[in-house]
Amino acid sequence: MKTQLLPASPASSGSRQPDRPRASRGTAALFAAQHRRRMLRADLLTVVAWASVAAAVALWLSDGGAAAINSPASAFTAAGIVAGLAGMDLVLLMLLLAARIPLVDRTIGHDRALEFHRKLGKPSLYLLLAHGLLIAVGYGMAEGLDPISESIALWVLVPDMWLAFVSMALFLAVVITSLVAVRRRFPYEFWYAVHLLTYAAVGTSLPHQFSVGGLFAEGTWQRWYWLAICTFTGAALLYFRVAQPLVATSRHRLTVSKVERVAAGVVSIEMTGLQLGRLAGTGGRFFVWRFLAPGLWWHSHPFSLSAEPLVWSADGGGRLRITVRNLGRGSAQLARLRPGTKVMVAGPYGVFSTAARSRDKVVMIGAGIGITPLRALLERTPFAPGDATVILRGHTEQELYLGSEIIDICRQRGVRLFHATGPRSRGDSASWLPEDAVRSGYSLASYAPDLAASDIYICGPSAWAANVIADARAAGVRPEQIHHERFDW
Amino acid sequence: MKARGAVSAALASAGILLAGWQAGTQVPGVNATTITTTAAGSAGAGAGTTGSSSGAASGSSSGGTGSSAGGTGSTGSSATGSTGSSGTGATGSSGTGSSGTSGSESAASGTYTGTAVSTRFGAVQVQVTVSAGKITDITALSLTDTDRKSIQISNRAAPLLRTEVLAAQSASVKIISGATVTSNAYLTSLQAALDAANL
Repeated sequence: MKTQLLPASPASSGSRQPDRPRASRGTAALFAAQHRRRMLRADLLTVVAWASVAAAVALWLSDGGAAAINSPASAFTAAGIVAGLAGMDLVLLMLLLAARIPLVDRTIGHDRALEFHRKLGKPSLYLLLAHGLLIAVGYGMAEGLDPISESIALWVLVPDMWLAFVSMALFLAVVITSLVAVRRRFPYEFWYAVHLLTYAAVGTSLPHQFSVGGLFAEGTWQRWYWLAICTFTGAALLYFRVAQPLVATSRHRLTVSKVERVAAGVVSIEMTGLQLGRLAGTGGRFFVWRFLAPGLWWHSHPFSLSAEPLVWSADGGGRLRITVRNLGRGSAQLARLRPGTKVMVAGPYGVFSTAARSRDKVVMIGAGIGITPLRALLERTPFAPGDATVILRGHTEQELYLGSEIIDICRQRGVRLFHATGPRSRGDSASWLPEDAVRSGYSLASYAPDLAASDIYICGPSAWAANVIADARAAGVRPEQIHHERFDW
Repeated sequence: MKARGAVSAALASAGILLAGWQAGTQVPGVNATTITTTAAGSAGAGAGTTGSSSGAASGSSSGGTGSSAGGTGSTGSSATGSTGSSGTGATGSSGTGSSGTSGSESAASGTYTGTAVSTRFGAVQVQVTVSAGKITDITALSLTDTDRKSIQISNRAAPLLRTEVLAAQSASVKIISGATVTSNAYLTSLQAALDAANL
């Protein structure tokens, strides 16, 4: 462990600044309680999600649906109706997961919400396809037509049904372009444009649900329930994805004040704004930024704060900072941002923050540009001197972005700091450590002594992070202690 | 923690499904709810008398029997079927197949039943009353009724179709928008009945 820069001794805590929170005796219990509450919320959300699917089917049951099955035709039709109800319910859940609702975000984090969103994509599409097919077969049997003629008859004869067919095609397009294999072949913008069609797909599917669906005929309570959940979903999307960002933008009035080169291809962007006191404690969490400059305004970027918001006046005037590496075309242009550029902002999002803590000790492991959110989190998250370990990974010392700032914070707060630099291990692709550390037989446990009592924050490229997580799990760390924010959604 | 969430979710879902099922056994079922094919205020041009016939044919599940208020001044309505609607004093013939009741003068008089046309929303069958070569009344024996929406559509469309047909004296009338399937089946069944009546 020759790479250790700072010892874990509390001796260095003499220069700690007074405003920094420090863990006291009660912290462990506090974080344990916070974690219990978060798990409870997660369970509640799970229950609500599953219950909503059950409720969709129960709507049909409560209408005497099961009793009305008396022929093969009606059995097909009934199965089709149930598939449609469940499919639509999943679509609404997907929309809610992508709506950036604070309750969901604080509980499972934005990345996991989107992971669930993605997981529901195929099942909901299959249900909707089954809905169409089964109904076509069931109706066709009732009428003595084959499913294709029946579909044509439905398109032509039954009002709003042609919209439902359009909706089906749009859903297909949206899901297919989101398949990993397909998505990789097209630029992000193409995928994004097609994904926006989801709104059209849902919009065109609604009329037939209320005008053709017998379950939702005028005057039934089922109609009111369905209207309510559709309206609720639409309102949540409008509020959290449109209204809230506009409010945040006008509240904070952010303007780029400085663009500073940190290393090759890496810049820190500083923005001044108002009422930033409201964002206290968001260091490490991410915001979705939109820089209102020519050629940039139409592209939004998710970036984490690389420092706690700095507030210097009573009205909340202060500074935010993000540090970005030029990865895509969009981020390359950011290096040329001019001071004075207005910034639209939405957030904060994610649980890469103190809100995720479950233990009183902390281990932070960052690689490359992933170091920068850790830098912000390290500033404020509570721990006692000696209770935190930071491991920074990069090919060279120059790649440990904001490294000198981190050294300063570690000195002030009594943090054990390691620089793990060097090429990655050629022999062991499952390792997250540099070659020489692997040869010496080091693993996560060699750096952080008390893993069982620590929260582990990991930020870096996904493959690397997966290796860190595997190492931590092998050391007996429980999943809820591992906090890893993914940005590849 | 994960298990707790999964178990609670399973229990809650099962409870909701059970409640839905239970509620489903309480409802009378769509078939028995309400399909009213009211043919009120028609002028029965029989032997000089004006018989207003109001018929409520409910009970679409049976779909076969119905009422006819025919020629000789009798007011009649009948209700057959599973539940519900009251019928007053049934006269006339019931049964499928065309059966003529006492037409007094004219050649083409009586009641004629059209074929049952099955649609995806239920079977449709109408009975037409003809007196002196004129269509005097149409009674729907069964209408699209597989679900509540179809019943609503039927209840809206049938009286309109009936009025249209009585005015046009033929099955060549425009279909009711929003009730295409019901209208088509209604007019098809009607045409069959008119064919049987040689109209």
